[in-house]
Amino acid sequence: MNKYVSGRLAAVAVTAVMTAFSAHAQEVPAGYPADYAELIAKAKQEGTVSIYTSTDAAQSQKLQDAFTKKYGIKIAYNDLGTNGAYNQVISEAAASQTTADIVWSSAMDLQMTLVQDGYAAEYASPEAGTLPSWANYKNTLYATTVEPIGVIYNTKALSEDKLPKTYGDMITFLKSNKTELQGKVATFDPEKSGSGFLHHSNDARNRPDFWDLAKAMGDNGAKIYSSSGGMKETVVSGENVIAINIIGSYALDWVKESPNLGVHFATDYTPAFSRLALITKDAPHSNAAKLFVDFMLSSEGQSLLAEGGLPSIREDVTAGLNIKTLNERVGGGLKPIAVDEGVLEYMDQMKRVQFLNDWKAALGR
Amino acid sequence: MSTHIQAPAAVPLTKAAAEKKYPAKMPRHGNANFYRRIVIGLLAVAVLAPVGLIIYQSFLTAAFFSPRAHFGFDAYKYVFTDKNFYRALGTTAIFSFGMVAIAVPLGGLLAFLITRTDIKGKRLLEILVLVPMFISSIVLAFGYTVSVGPTGFVSLFVRSVLGFVPWNIYSLPGMILIAGLSHVPHVYLYVSSAMRNLPSDLEEAARTTGASVWQVSRDVTLPMVLPALIFAAALNILLGFETFGIPLVLGDPNGIMVLTTYIYKLTTLFGTPTYQLMAVVAVVLVLITLPLVWMQRRLLRNARKYAALGGKGARVATLKLGASGQVIALSLIGFWLFVSVVLPIGGITVRAFVDAWGEGVNLFDQLTLTNFSRMLEVPSLYNGIVNTIILSVVGGAAAVAIYLAVGLAGHRNWGMSNTVLDYIVLLPRALPGLVVGLAFFWVFLFVPLLTPLRPTLVSLFVAYLVVGLSYGLRLLQGTLIQVAPELEESARTTGATIGRTWKDVVIPIVRPGLAGAWALIMIIFLREYATGVYLMGAGTEVIGSLMVSLLQTGAMNTIAALSLISIVLTGAGLALALRLGAKIHD
Repeated sequence: MNKYVSGRLAAVAVTAVMTAFSAHAQEVPAGYPADYAELIAKAKQEGTVSIYTSTDAAQSQKLQDAFTKKYGIKIAYNDLGTNGAYNQVISEAAASQTTADIVWSSAMDLQMTLVQDGYAAEYASPEAGTLPSWANYKNTLYATTVEPIGVIYNTKALSEDKLPKTYGDMITFLKSNKTELQGKVATFDPEKSGSGFLHHSNDARNRPDFWDLAKAMGDNGAKIYSSSGGMKETVVSGENVIAINIIGSYALDWVKESPNLGVHFATDYTPAFSRLALITKDAPHSNAAKLFVDFMLSSEGQSLLAEGGLPSIREDVTAGLNIKTLNERVGGGLKPIAVDEGVLEYMDQMKRVQFLNDWKAALGR
Repeated sequence: MSTHIQAPAAVPLTKAAAEKKYPAKMPRHGNANFYRRIVIGLLAVAVLAPVGLIIYQSFLTAAFFSPRAHFGFDAYKYVFTDKNFYRALGTTAIFSFGMVAIAVPLGGLLAFLITRTDIKGKRLLEILVLVPMFISSIVLAFGYTVSVGPTGFVSLFVRSVLGFVPWNIYSLPGMILIAGLSHVPHVYLYVSSAMRNLPSDLEEAARTTGASVWQVSRDVTLPMVLPALIFAAALNILLGFETFGIPLVLGDPNGIMVLTTYIYKLTTLFGTPTYQLMAVVAVVLVLITLPLVWMQRRLLRNARKYAALGGKGARVATLKLGASGQVIALSLIGFWLFVSVVLPIGGITVRAFVDAWGEGVNLFDQLTLTNFSRMLEVPSLYNGIVNTIILSVVGGAAAVAIYLAVGLAGHRNWGMSNTVLDYIVLLPRALPGLVVGLAFFWVFLFVPLLTPLRPTLVSLFVAYLVVGLSYGLRLLQGTLIQVAPELEESARTTGATIGRTWKDVVIPIVRPGLAGAWALIMIIFLREYATGVYLMGAGTEVIGSLMVSLLQTGAMNTIAALSLISIVLTGAGLALALRLGAKIHD
């Protein structure tokens, strides 16, 4: 019996070493630590990685397919929305039933909350050095994209040259075109949308004139939406003329297929948010998770994401847009939201309620 | 005014008389009480586990699994002092009653025209009239925005003729009108079934004295179906309180909020989800609907008495409408069908095949099939389609078997256990699907033996089963009640046990009804969307909930394609139902 067991163990060990060796021979990317082959072998043994995300599968399909093809590791891709992902992660942890290996979400504040509340594991990715310093929070939270926040407008109702060039001009623009824009301005509802809250509150943190903009939108009878989809549809159809503080990475894709839709950014100030990735503390497939995070941050992974419409944080990526070419595209005012405790400012309940009250007052609701 | 007196054919049984005929205490031998208790007990566990969890959660200060949670009334204090809550409550009440004010008269009228008159094309109309019921409200709402939204193709046409668009669907009246029209089938279903069971002698007698069709319907038919009308009204108020899709799509942009969208807002308002506040609103919804359940029960008891005595060969002779009557009736129904079927489905169909629409866009320039090819490229999308089919076809069949088991437990049972059963069945009806789904997510996460089932379709099936319970059980009860009691009694007197009577007499007789019920449950599962939002995961996506999650990122092209696929599947289900001889109206 013992002999049999040890015999099997030896066989397993031999196979492991052999796969590790062959992995080492073929797959360890240049500049990675020598023992990375071991990680690949373990990850392959785990065989699967489970991702909880707010990114539509269509946008990351190329990344997923390439990863599975390269390592033979299956991806369980759960598009749960920002709140769904957060909810499931904390519920699973409380029930000691952690299923999520990676949480990859655009809700920067919720992701940071998960880290602060101890749901994330630390992992120093070999790719960390290639990222801007603001994109890595203590080796637990990595920015994987940089996505500008801008304006979409109906090209049949407005021409690009009429649009304001700077953030400040937008306020004047809204005031001076009051009659044409009345009831035809759309923006995120920060009460119903986590992304909307993040975008508006980030502006409030950075722009003293944010409240003037809010008030100008209120004077134009702005309509508020809980999703980018709702806003896009109304601007495409001409029901609204302009939508402010919309996710520009989506919009850059939308304009390719919708002839009557335009996208526009302020040259002096274009904030950008990131989809942040973390590995859960009790990840059942922690090695596969590490491998996936590395792949997502690698030049290859970033190219595939950029092709899917999510601009890369790496300057060396040539497919789609990268942080440098994106900055040129938006007119030079790109201001990525840093991955740090700052995003937690409005998680404080008093501040949050105050912000929402100010917002409603500015909009006249 | 007692309607019983005016409906002499439907002699009401008093409780005492009912007990005399079907004594509460059956002979010990072959008594089904044991079975009854087991079934009701299991059902109670399935329904009360999530409901109990929600009630428990409402009395805590944080998520029930959080170490920071302790007992307190803070959540109630917050909700009951929030002016947005009262505003949402008021809007919900106006919305529900307004919806009823449109759906009940119209549904009653349609039921009268189709069941009691010689209107042309009756068989086709019977099917068409029910179509809006089988399309999820979120799909309907999308469809309406494309056809009659501010820049919908119908609106643009009307504007080119009139110079302005005389309606606005993004307003409370607009929402009420759309919800009212789409709930007409729910009224039709109940009222037509009551009308079918009315003997026509009285109407004929009235006609021979020279009364017009109008007088007959007002003075003879209306009083007799009044209980069914009131019942349908109560049910629709219930439905109005839990409507989510229409307010989400049409009310949101202008900040019109009802209780269900208020709950939805509570998931983001404080940054992290505030389950205790969501639970409080859910409890409020239950408290509002309990009196309605009580009222429904009283009415249902009456309705059953009518039904039990119907079917005894009461021939239904139809009223002659006459030529002009036909024209008026048919154009009325035609107009309603245009507004509540053609407009939304047309809108969705157009949207699914274009990538842009609206002002100044020539739809023919935008025709594309890419919206559908995406279904094949992205696994989660085709998984969603496959899973939806599995869940509705296989899950629907399993659900019918389970509803039948429950239906038999309540069959010819007038005891206390039946009261319990009725309340259990109608309880989940009061809760928004979103909340039921969230509660089941927790049940499958925290109950040890159930945890392996969470990432499978089983968890979705159980939640769907509970959400569809009241509708499904009513379908089965309707079928079971048609078995003449004499047949069961004769089986019993020859010494058969209740189990044997069910197996050899009742089930064979109701088999055709079961097939029809299966197809209808299939359609109900097909259109469900809110329940799966928290339960679906990798590999267990379903179409309806995929649409809700896609809405966040703006993939409207994909949503429209999914909507159209869902409508096509529903059409297939309906065709199957009819082939199987489903009596949709009973």
